[in-house]
This record gives sequence, C-alpha cells and structure tokens, in this order.
Amino acid sequence: MAAEEEVLAEVEAVEAVYGGDCLVLNSFPPHLHISMKPRTADVSFEQFVEATIKIIASPQYPKEPPCIDLVDCKGLDEQRQKHLLSCIREKAHELSSCLMLVTLCEEAVEKLSAMNHPDGDCPLCLYPLVPEDQQNETLPFMKLMSCFHCFHSECIIRCWHWLQNTKETDSASSAGAAGRPTQNMENRKDMHGKMKEGAGNCPVCRKPFHAKDLEHVLDLVGSHSSSQSSLDSKLPTGDEKLLVSESEITRRLKFEAILKLQEENSGLIEPKRDLVVLPGMFLPQPVTTSTKESAEQQEKDPSAVASGKHASGNSNGPSSSGHRNFGARKQRVRSDHHSKGHSSRKPVQQWVRKENANGK
Amino acid sequence: MTSSSASARKALSKIACNRLQKELVEWQVNPPAGFKHKVTDNLQRWVIEVTGAPGTLYANETYQLQVDFPEHYPMEAPQVIFLHPAPMHPHIYSNGHICLDILYDSWSPAMTVSSICISILSMLSSSTVKQRPEDNDRYVKNCRNGRSPKETRWWFHDDKV
Repeated sequence: MAAEEEVLAEVEAVEAVYGGDCLVLNSFPPHLHISMKPRTADVSFEQFVEATIKIIASPQYPKEPPCIDLVDCKGLDEQRQKHLLSCIREKAHELSSCLMLVTLCEEAVEKLSAMNHPDGDCPLCLYPLVPEDQQNETLPFMKLMSCFHCFHSECIIRCWHWLQNTKETDSASSAGAAGRPTQNMENRKDMHGKMKEGAGNCPVCRKPFHAKDLEHVLDLVGSHSSSQSSLDSKLPTGDEKLLVSESEITRRLKFEAILKLQEENSGLIEPKRDLVVLPGMFLPQPVTTSTKESAEQQEKDPSAVASGKHASGNSNGPSSSGHRNFGARKQRVRSDHHSKGHSSRKPVQQWVRKENANGK
Repeated sequence: MTSSSASARKALSKIACNRLQKELVEWQVNPPAGFKHKVTDNLQRWVIEVTGAPGTLYANETYQLQVDFPEHYPMEAPQVIFLHPAPMHPHIYSNGHICLDILYDSWSPAMTVSSICISILSMLSSSTVKQRPEDNDRYVKNCRNGRSPKETRWWFHDDKV
C-alpha cells in the first residue's frame, strides 16, 4: 500500500513538471501520455522535432519497468524514432525497481534535445538539407509549422510559385485562353505578389499550410535576388543561415523586405504588422485580425481589388506593373485566412477542362 | 489543350536534371522490388520493367512502363504509361493509359519515380479481376491522335483496386 502511495506521488510529480503536456490516463498503475519538446526549443523556429510518448506501468511497477512507446512525433524519421525509444527503454531497465517516471521523462527530453535539428534530404530536390561538408555555406531551409517537414527555402518557394501559377493559369484557361502554366519564371517580381494568396499543402504529408507560413521566406529570398535572377541560381548564403538569428540580421532583413514591398507597390507602403522576417519562424494566425484587415482594406481601396481580378485573367503576360502587383496583394489579404480563396473564380475553373468522363 | 504534351517534349530544366540524376543514383542503390530500369542515355524518358508480385493475378508477368519527364519535373507530374501490351486491369486502358490519381491531380513534387512504381505495383496487386475499364473503347478512340493521359480530365472514384 505504501508502494502505491509512492507511485501516486511520483505521478503527481510528473504532472507538476510537465503541466498541460502531461495527460494522466490512469494514476495507478500509471498510464501517462507526455508531450515533449526539445529543451533548446523555447523559440518555435528553433524547434525541429517533438514527440509524445506513452508510459504504461503494470501494478508491479516499479519492480517491473513500464512499457514505453511513441504516440506521435514530428520531424523524426524512423531511425531517430527507434533510437529515441531504445534509449528510454534502456534507461527503464537500468533503473528497474526504482521509481523512475521523472527520470525517464528527463532522459527522453535529453535525447530529443540532442536530435533537435533537421535531418535527411530535402524532399523536393533530394539533396541533403544541411550539407555535411560545407557547414558554412548551407542553403537556408525552412520548416512548415503544421507538420515540421523541412525543405530548402528555395525548393519550397519554387513549389509555391508553381502552385500559384497553375491556379492562375487554370482560371485563365477556363476563360478561353488555353495554356499550361507559365514557363515564364523570369517575372518573379510579379509572382512575388501573387504567390501570397491562399494556402497550399505540404508536399510530403498534404497537411495544409498558409501563405503566412511562407511569407517571411519569400521576403527573405525576394530581398536578395533581383527580378532577373533565375530560379536555378543559388541563393546568396552567409548570413541567411537559419540558425543565425542575431537581431541585427533580423532587423536588416526586415527593412529590406519592406523596401522590396515598397518597390512593388510603386512607393505605397503599409508594413506588414507583427511580421518578423526570420526563416523558420511562424506566427500564429489571428483569423479575426485578418478579417478585419481585409474589410478595412477593401473599404480603403476598392479599385485595387477590382484591378487584381482583372490582372488574373492574363497571367501569361510578362507585365510587372506596380499597379497590378498591388491588386494581387490586396486580393491575397482578402483570402488568406481560409485555404480556398478566390471564391469568385473557383467554380468556373473546376470542370471546364473535362473532356472525357472516364468513369471507373 | 495540347500545350502540355508540347511542354513534355521540352528539354529538362536544370533543376529537373539534377533531381533526376539524384533519383537515378538512388534507384541504382536501392531499386523498388519488382522493377528494373532499362539503362539508356536518355534521362528524360525512362523505360522500366515491372514484374507482377508473386501471389497476385499478375505473378510472373512482365510489363513495361514508360516514364516521360516534363521540363519542370518534379513540379509537373511525369507522364507514365504502359507500353504495349498493357496489363489487363480495371484501371488500365488498352492504350497504356493508367487511371491513378497520383499521376495527375494528386501529384506532389515530393513523390519520386520509385514511389510511383510502388503505387502502380500495389494497384496491380490489389486487382481481383483481369479486365479493361468499362469505357475502354470510347476512351481509346478519343485518344487516337496520340494524346497524353495528362490531358485527360480523370475521375477517380474507386479506391478499392
């Protein structure tokens, strides 16, 4: 009986340490789910992994070590998952017949902290995210907030461009002008405005992400490459590395991004609110704010919205007029708080191209 | 509507080339089970031999897949068809066109030739009957002028096979 009380006290201790991250399904014998983040990841953009482990103990605990398993994890490939689990299980055997729940959790967090870096290849170009040989010249990469999948910034942006362009062209071709998406990647300045509309899906797991997840990267890349630079060219590296986060660089990039925006909008400038330009950093999306914002911007400038609609009709032209970009940007603001914007155009593009009903 | 087949014939972009070379190397190290890449010097068109999985309707049968990569692979899906003779399957037309969502609407640039091959083999393996799609004749007639399956507006409403 005394043993049971000790175990109960231990469960309480775990609860006290992990608070809301600890879910007690049963106090005795203990059955816990604990969500863990790496110790180094107080700032969301420095977090690349997380895991939820479950600990199920038998009534014989602590004489018998508890079962330990992963419930859920992000950013960990199979190999690292196995490694994490085997480390915790080993520890459990080592500590057999001692009260070990707190220690086990600490061990797990410790291991998770050691793994807190992106691993493996970029799923889009298949080259390593962080080349081992040239630590100083790593391409900047980013992770998506929803699923922790990581890509080279360049790659995910190229993908995003393509998606936005396909959408554009689809709606254009449904109006009669046929044509496959835009091989005209050279007018990226133009696209810089457009790509911010709507949302996309993670190429790996298809979880939706929002334009806002990408904005800072777009600004970062946009601010460094001239409008002629092709997508094939390597980005300037050096101070763009993700893990470099000195406030000076942040500040400079932020202002470069604003300058870029200003150029696009023929001098009109409305700095994005609460946007800090840092690769890998994401802000929660205040849905209400963006709704308010859009309403207020529509009021302010109804003509811009109209011109945005007009511009989308002929997306193949190499135009880069400031007016047009301005329109596109406004449109983005209108639609970015839900995954499917363009409610006005959407219905048209859906089924026009269907020629054969290949029923199966 | 013919522009996409035109773009499929365009030379690969630099990005597409890099990516395909990488895929080829990885294929050579670790090819998907049941597939054999027929070596050519044409990076833009792969011909791959598929052998039906043991214990399925297509066991010991060999077919050939032709994979053509567009200029902007992997943003654009590759065109994947069976060369003649195409396997008898409720989702495979006699002209080799394959009704499989990941080749068209559900393509994602994170997919690879390997992952496509695995999907196709799994599609073959789960078939319970060797027959052509119901609308085979109509569809094949429609495609007589050498149209690419990527120009078809596909309906996908059967995930059983």
